[in-house]
Amino acid sequence: MEEKTVLEIKEPEIKSFSDFWKFFKEELKPKGKIFTPFNVITFPIMIVGYICILIRLIKGLGYPVTNLSQEFPWGLWIGFDVVTGVAFAGGGYVLAFIVYILRDERFYPILRPTILNAFLAYVFYAGAIVLDIGRWWNIYNPMVGNYFGYNSVMFLVAWHFFLYMLAAFIEISPAIAEWLGLRRIRKILGTLTLGAVIFGVALSTLHQSGLGALMMMAKNKIHPLWYTEFIPILYFISSIFAGLSLVIFEGSISHKVFEWQIPEEYHKAYPGIVFSLAKICALVMWGYLFIKLIVLVHDRSYPYLNSTMGFWYLIEVIGFVLIPAILYAEGYTRKSLLIIKCASILTLIGIIINRLNYTFIAYNWFVPLAKKYWPTPIELLITASIVLTEIWVFRWIVNRMPIVRPAPAWARKLESH
Amino acid sequence: MEGLFTYYDMFATKGVEYLIILVFLISFIFVWKYFERKAPY
Amino acid sequence: MKKISRREFLKYLGSVLTLETIFMKSEGWSKEEKKEFYGLLVDITKCIGCRRCERACAEANGLPIPDISEEKNKEVFKTLRDTSTTQYTVINKYETEKGVVYVSRRCMHCNQPGCVAACLVKAMRKRETGQVTWDLNCIGCRLCMISCPFGIPKFEYEKAIPKIQKCDLCFDRFNKGLIPACVEACPTGALTFGKRRELIEEAKRRIKSDPDKYIPYIYGEYEVGGTCVLYLSSVPFEQIGFNTQLGYEPYPKYTTGFLYAVPFIFILWPLAMLGFRKAVEGGKKHREEEKKE
Repeated sequence: MEEKTVLEIKEPEIKSFSDFWKFFKEELKPKGKIFTPFNVITFPIMIVGYICILIRLIKGLGYPVTNLSQEFPWGLWIGFDVVTGVAFAGGGYVLAFIVYILRDERFYPILRPTILNAFLAYVFYAGAIVLDIGRWWNIYNPMVGNYFGYNSVMFLVAWHFFLYMLAAFIEISPAIAEWLGLRRIRKILGTLTLGAVIFGVALSTLHQSGLGALMMMAKNKIHPLWYTEFIPILYFISSIFAGLSLVIFEGSISHKVFEWQIPEEYHKAYPGIVFSLAKICALVMWGYLFIKLIVLVHDRSYPYLNSTMGFWYLIEVIGFVLIPAILYAEGYTRKSLLIIKCASILTLIGIIINRLNYTFIAYNWFVPLAKKYWPTPIELLITASIVLTEIWVFRWIVNRMPIVRPAPAWARKLESH
Repeated sequence: MEGLFTYYDMFATKGVEYLIILVFLISFIFVWKYFERKAPY
Repeated sequence: MKKISRREFLKYLGSVLTLETIFMKSEGWSKEEKKEFYGLLVDITKCIGCRRCERACAEANGLPIPDISEEKNKEVFKTLRDTSTTQYTVINKYETEKGVVYVSRRCMHCNQPGCVAACLVKAMRKRETGQVTWDLNCIGCRLCMISCPFGIPKFEYEKAIPKIQKCDLCFDRFNKGLIPACVEACPTGALTFGKRRELIEEAKRRIKSDPDKYIPYIYGEYEVGGTCVLYLSSVPFEQIGFNTQLGYEPYPKYTTGFLYAVPFIFILWPLAMLGFRKAVEGGKKHREEEKKE
């Protein structure tokens, strides 16, 4: 199969639904080798995961489907799929803010992949939520009817999830219009972008911090080194460098996989973009560490450092926030993509540790070992299949729509860049 | 009056607050459009 | 005939009259009475650990009936139990310096419940008469479990159609003019049902008249903003499984700081972002124009 170059993607002429349907069916066909190592390994995992999902729907959440218990109502799916996943998707609102509000065009090449990723992340992690809640057939209740629990932080988070999905979809919709060659629609969608970005940043601020606020009433269950009235602020700030770290890490992979789509000018700009992101991460993480210090002093929780949990806290903060922050700074000054990639991996692990701490590690930390929560194989498989399906959908979209490759000339004329 | 507890619903105004936010965001679009027309930069 | 002193007679009369006004009359509640919180006074000094309350609760709620024979009780009391999806109330046995003490455990029906504040679909509701109840519009998110300082709501993980299970102070019986099943079944009067205000007065009366018997403290009077289930004890509460470090702040208050910030962010962020954008664009344009000159 010949390699497609940027110039050879032909645009369809869509004047009716049947035109669209014919084009769409054509696009559904795989574009490349089917039996790649990645496909061969991931596809069976996904299939087993889907079967597990069916088991979960039929049998409920009890063991052996999940290890959730009365002591640990939230586990891997909420702690990792939803809460960590949303933190990782933070790159979307940060980059949209940088490009559309601060008008820093240098980041434009990575903007669309990041926003697409954020949009897909929210869609799939909303799916993870549907799987986790025990009475999922009632999921529409917070959205319609007279059951609005305004008093609840979760009410806010649920609505924001939904609204942010809309905002992210509007931000990515120009690429869909370009894929279908719908010029007039593309023009209209372009005018909506700024509003969607502004709305999206406000929404993101509130639901990133909101996910932290969910734990505010667990005051007597979360270890004092982690529990503070400033949890929402810590979640919001950490979502900034969590999202950007994922952009760096995932970008380094996408950059190689979709190399054939990337024009020369984007290739040249790429290292500069990564260096700038590294600098931003280092600065935000530095601020975050000082905020953590203030929390420690204000809440007078530093005596707790002298304990097992205290040691774990120091591992999280020093090993997975301070050290990657230093690595980011070093990578920036030495202009080393390798150091920066290592920093991003450490940061991502640190975020996972932090969010899981609030979910089941530092939450009810005093429960005896026998009753502690560990994910079951089924929980892990379902998580894996959700993440892999998202990657497959991402790949499908990137291979067809102008996400990694630049927009067609007629679309670029519509905007100033 | 020992043991008397008067119930104070701290969430009573939340519904109205969210409505006010909605009204603000919608009016924001029109206010912004107004300024764009008057002096687009 | 046994001679009793006038003081003892008046005390007896007083307690009978109080119990009369506190206990439910079969006619039902009057409309004015409905507006006050009702609650439960648990006098630990009177509990003999017979577990009849557990059985009555199971019968009233269609739960599996526990075996409360003497031998079974001996076995059951060997371990400390929590409430569960099939047991809304449990008795635990504690060995203390004052001897054996039996402590019942159930939903505290807080004045300002964390579970109610957490519920995004109003499945957990605080009724006007004080009971905290769960409803079927629940989506099963389990945030109520995380938010309850007493860890009361229990989730039916093993079911495909799961519910949250906890004591609801026999809300259905209440609406029919009855008292909770456990109160009715208690043979020693360890459980008393009535208006919260009156229960606190009664509790204070008991403490005053028997200062050697009771610790001068009503657990639940002020804890987490006050609860409708109140406890009197002869031994310090921390020795019998009570958390005395919960503080007096109602749990929902811990979320209002964040929730209050929401409107401010929604109003200020759009304005600030528009401002930034205009400033950045204006600055750029200015520099481009300067370059041209």
